[in-house]
Amino acid sequence: MVAPRQPPLLALVDELLAEQGQLQTPVVRAAEAYDRAQRGQFNSKTHADLIPLTKPGPGEQYAFQVDLDSCTGCKACVVACHSLNGLDDEEAWRDVGFVVGGSRAAPYQQTVTTACHHCADPGCLNGCPVLAYEKDPVTGIVRHLDDQCIGCQYCILKCPYDVPKYNDRLGIVRKCDMCQQRLGAGEAPACAQACPTHAIKIIKVELHVSVGGALRPDTSKFLPSAPDPSYTQPTTHYITKRPTPVDVRSADAAVLRPQPPHWPLVALLMLMPMAVGCGVADKILDLRTSALAVCGWVAGATGLALAGLHLGQPLRAWRVFLGLRKSWFSREAVVFGLWFPLASAYVAVRLGWLPLAGQLRSGLAVGTACLGVLGLFCSVMIYADTHRVFWRVANTAPRFFGTAVILGLAGALTAPGAPLALGYLLAGATILKLAFETKALAALAEEDDGMSPPARQTALLLTGPLRPANELRVFAALLGGILLPFMVSSGTAPLWVAWPALAFALLGELAERYLFFRAVDAPKMPGQPDPGRGGHA
Amino acid sequence: MPSLLEQLLLARTGPMTSELVQHPGDFGLGKVPSRLAPAGTAKAICGFCSTGCSLQIHLNAAGEAINLTPDPDYPVNLGMACPKGWEALTPLAAPDRATSPLLRDSKGGLRPVDWPRALAEFSGRFKSVQALHGPGAVAVLSTGQIVVEEMALLGALAKFGMGIADIDSNTRQCMATSHVAYKQSYGFDAPPFTYADFEESDVLVFVGANPCIAHPIMWQRVMRNRRNPAIIVVDPRRTETAMAATLHLPARPKTDLTLLYGLARELIKRGAVDPTFIAEHTTGFAEFASFVDTFTPEHVARETGLSMADILHTAELIARPGARVSYWWTMGVNQSHQATRTAQALINLSLMAGQIGQPGTGANSITGQCNAMGSRLFGNATSLIGGYDYANAAHREHVGQILGIDPSLIPQQASRAYDRILDAVDAGEIRALWIIATNTAHSWINSGKFAQLRDKLDFLVVQDMYATTETARQADLVLPAAGWGEKDGVFINSERRLGVARKVARAPGQALSDFAIFKLVAEAWGCSPMFARWSSPAAAFGVLKDLSRGQPCDFSGIRDYDHIEASGGIQWPFSEEMAERLKAEKLKEAGSALQSFSPSAFFESRLFADGKFFTSDHRAKFLFDPPVPLPEPVDAAYPFLLNTGRGSSAQWHTGSRTDKSAVLRKLAPNLPWIELNPSDAAPLGAVTGDRMLIRSRRGSTTALAVVTPIVQPGQVFMPMHFAEVNVLTFPAYDPHSRQPAYKACAVAVSLAPNL
Repeated sequence: MVAPRQPPLLALVDELLAEQGQLQTPVVRAAEAYDRAQRGQFNSKTHADLIPLTKPGPGEQYAFQVDLDSCTGCKACVVACHSLNGLDDEEAWRDVGFVVGGSRAAPYQQTVTTACHHCADPGCLNGCPVLAYEKDPVTGIVRHLDDQCIGCQYCILKCPYDVPKYNDRLGIVRKCDMCQQRLGAGEAPACAQACPTHAIKIIKVELHVSVGGALRPDTSKFLPSAPDPSYTQPTTHYITKRPTPVDVRSADAAVLRPQPPHWPLVALLMLMPMAVGCGVADKILDLRTSALAVCGWVAGATGLALAGLHLGQPLRAWRVFLGLRKSWFSREAVVFGLWFPLASAYVAVRLGWLPLAGQLRSGLAVGTACLGVLGLFCSVMIYADTHRVFWRVANTAPRFFGTAVILGLAGALTAPGAPLALGYLLAGATILKLAFETKALAALAEEDDGMSPPARQTALLLTGPLRPANELRVFAALLGGILLPFMVSSGTAPLWVAWPALAFALLGELAERYLFFRAVDAPKMPGQPDPGRGGHA
Repeated sequence: MPSLLEQLLLARTGPMTSELVQHPGDFGLGKVPSRLAPAGTAKAICGFCSTGCSLQIHLNAAGEAINLTPDPDYPVNLGMACPKGWEALTPLAAPDRATSPLLRDSKGGLRPVDWPRALAEFSGRFKSVQALHGPGAVAVLSTGQIVVEEMALLGALAKFGMGIADIDSNTRQCMATSHVAYKQSYGFDAPPFTYADFEESDVLVFVGANPCIAHPIMWQRVMRNRRNPAIIVVDPRRTETAMAATLHLPARPKTDLTLLYGLARELIKRGAVDPTFIAEHTTGFAEFASFVDTFTPEHVARETGLSMADILHTAELIARPGARVSYWWTMGVNQSHQATRTAQALINLSLMAGQIGQPGTGANSITGQCNAMGSRLFGNATSLIGGYDYANAAHREHVGQILGIDPSLIPQQASRAYDRILDAVDAGEIRALWIIATNTAHSWINSGKFAQLRDKLDFLVVQDMYATTETARQADLVLPAAGWGEKDGVFINSERRLGVARKVARAPGQALSDFAIFKLVAEAWGCSPMFARWSSPAAAFGVLKDLSRGQPCDFSGIRDYDHIEASGGIQWPFSEEMAERLKAEKLKEAGSALQSFSPSAFFESRLFADGKFFTSDHRAKFLFDPPVPLPEPVDAAYPFLLNTGRGSSAQWHTGSRTDKSAVLRKLAPNLPWIELNPSDAAPLGAVTGDRMLIRSRRGSTTALAVVTPIVQPGQVFMPMHFAEVNVLTFPAYDPHSRQPAYKACAVAVSLAPNL
């Protein structure tokens, strides 16, 4: 018997498929690899003019220098950073944007490559609650400790240059470390060695002692259209021999970039003020029932629990006290951490589970309330400390404390035996807060010079992409904060209407806090005009 | 050592920190991520553009590519690559790779079938179309993206094996003009330069070229120029290259021809011509000189919108005695309605000053695709395979003999051009198309027309890496192809350098290299004996060597792939005599110890140093025509002139590969954008970030407004990488090269109404 032969076409298909699947292994290529190895190790000589010959001395640090005249927008630096650092799919620690300006006769458009500026006074480092950032005492490199990071992302809010990036897979942020491993071996950082025109170099910059005694770089060589360097003292030098037009601005300056809502934080910053407000109201009104105290405790407990969802690495969060010396985030966490047992004890007392009376009882109430107010103050400072315009103390404090007042009153109004006049107070407080919030739209009245300052960005966001949320906020406040409470107090509505009033007041404050996060103008380095890449997430 | 408490409080090490630890470089590499430490490396020429960078591919122990870095030892890229090169491996792993042949079923969906079934459909349906409507009723649209062995086998198979008359490729969209311009002027499609000329020039004139983002590695060479060169950029936009230039000439769109004729007149007026060179090596100068006499600076200034001062200053720079002047052009010239004459206006400038064949000189075409040069020589479309002439009986005889086929099988005329092939589809003359590695539905000018043509085709086969391209989605049969990195073969770059691409990754599923697919087609068609010599890409390369022997592009002195790789690529011409001569010289230098020979890594060669051209009289020709107005000028209804082109260095053509890389997608907006001058945006009420509605007489689309002074008032620019853009473009063609004029059509722009 002869085995049946495959028709030639079938045989050829099989043969070619088998051939397609064959790869030469490195062993087969060994001779070639050997040749290359013989040719010498990595030729770091070609990097000699990209990195300093010696380490920084006292009063010096390493810095990136970008020659704008050589940066022509090829963006190889971004992809080299991604590939040579083995980063995740779309992760890169360098980015390229551009700035525009000039006149019709002399149009100006310049690409700008940007990575971490290894600031002298790093916002990320100062804000980190767990000391996951270190500034190398010799090189000045601002390094992130990946296994220390709890994924709170506060550094992202603190950095005015949008440098730290959150990594979903790991639940932490990661950032540029100036390829310190490479620098240590005499190699240039990935971006510098990949730049076809050698536009990126590592230089040593001198630091001078400032009035306050801190070491400060010369920020006059920082990029003109970038966020104000006085905040974090970035060290990158952008050099150019070409005249820079006075009207130069980021290409994406006018692009509206709604920021991430951070829902757990929205919940925390609505519920904690409510908890504090209810606690204070309970103390002041000295109600017969414990309902208001319980209501406040439930709000606080829920808020704190939900806030945990914000962390990428909650199991590491026990270290949060480490940053107390500098970080408002640490301070808030510690204060609310103390508040909670006190508040729990107070509720237990109010429920009669814990026998405590007289001055001790009153002291516990006052102490809890004071700690709560202190915690709210820390909350305000967390945002104020980011130097973002919309989050300044003068804007944040009235909002957070206003929420405490409104939700405290709205909660109290539902309590059995509460004075009906509270409804008038609530209506008044809501009117004041709404009036205050409309100030955010004032920037629209100013003339548009195309530079899109932060206040204008916020106003445009509130009236543009965030308009539905803003309308919801106003509607809910009008209903739950003004109309219904007024009706309850004036007797035109039954008492139970205090409950829908509370619900709408909550909804209104929720929407306001959501807008607080989304409508902030987040400073960043010049980018591309792509609205699809607005946030820093 | 930190104390236990310190360790507990501050986790300096751990699994996440370890992820980013680097491994000291082996194989001549610098530090690499430890997770991706290679077991070995291989080299491959990049498969995107024609720069022809060498990439060092990092391999694991199984020989699979895991990462790459640019090759530090290659004379083209000197250890650098653009973002596409760095990300060359990523598109191979895309989830939408075609992994088996797909056949459209009776319900209209594409269903997987096995190769024998696909091949039976392929030959059965093409043959029945040919039986009904004649052999010419089947045509092929090919590519500049596959290796030269593959394009040669395709050309031979289609024309000699399958009796197909018309095969053209997407090089029609990018390089047809350069091909025709050189062929007419020099007698052969022969870009004369070498990349070292970027470094050796005193004056570099870039016309319609934006190498900063389109060819960043060529720009690297410009930046290495230590002669303090004048860099003149002629471009209606203030591009990245224009920003980096010492002089930007923002001539009105398509007035470059007028400008170049004006400059020629100035050279003559200033006596900055080389009468000896003109007399000994050219024809037609006297006619040219009298023709350009009317292109006075006043006239040129009026037509181009440039200042007299800039025009005269430019003339002064290029006329400076002793200065080495080089002219460089790419798509801004090639994609216009008088493209060939514009390219030749540059050629004329270099000829009249004798600025050719010497370091830092030449009229130099920067090529587009990685193997457009290979396609121009071996595509078997306009020229008979190997750069021969279909109409020449001796050529047919010669080619027939080398290929071992009956010369009577070789057609006596060239293929029709891309646009004419589509016209023939429209006319019902061509009934079936085989499209290979190109995305016609996206990239062809006035793309709305192609959409209508689909219904006129009885059978459409698309052979591609992805079944998801705009064209593949319309196919009746999709053949899954292996991509760059999954096969071996040769690319020829802009400076005529042959380089080798290597197989470093497995193709997914049933995907096969284009070479293997062509062999299967030959087998299924019944003509495989004709291609017995083409057993493998390496064997096919031997056939190509034989075809090149005695031609201007002679590379018969190349031994094999390893020879090319060891030499850092080899530029044609490299004949057997040249190889012998060089070998003898080297042996004399090095003594008998030298066992094997390869040209030095920085071996550079230029053409025409001897002033001998490839025309029958060995003289170059001055060719010219009067400028004619734009095919579709702006008017009240369509008041803006739309220019299209490269959006960023991270985007390639229709994005079928570059869109597959997340990191490349980060480097440009992910939706079409339109650049508008502030003075045009203001009356429209548009600011950057707004959605604009763009209408032409052919269609309409929306795009993101980018308000920037780099475009002039009245002009707008859109990147070509989005399918929407060619809905707008106007189907005008250069009369000589039949290349589409993508760079100018009339559009109307307004704020898009809210949804």
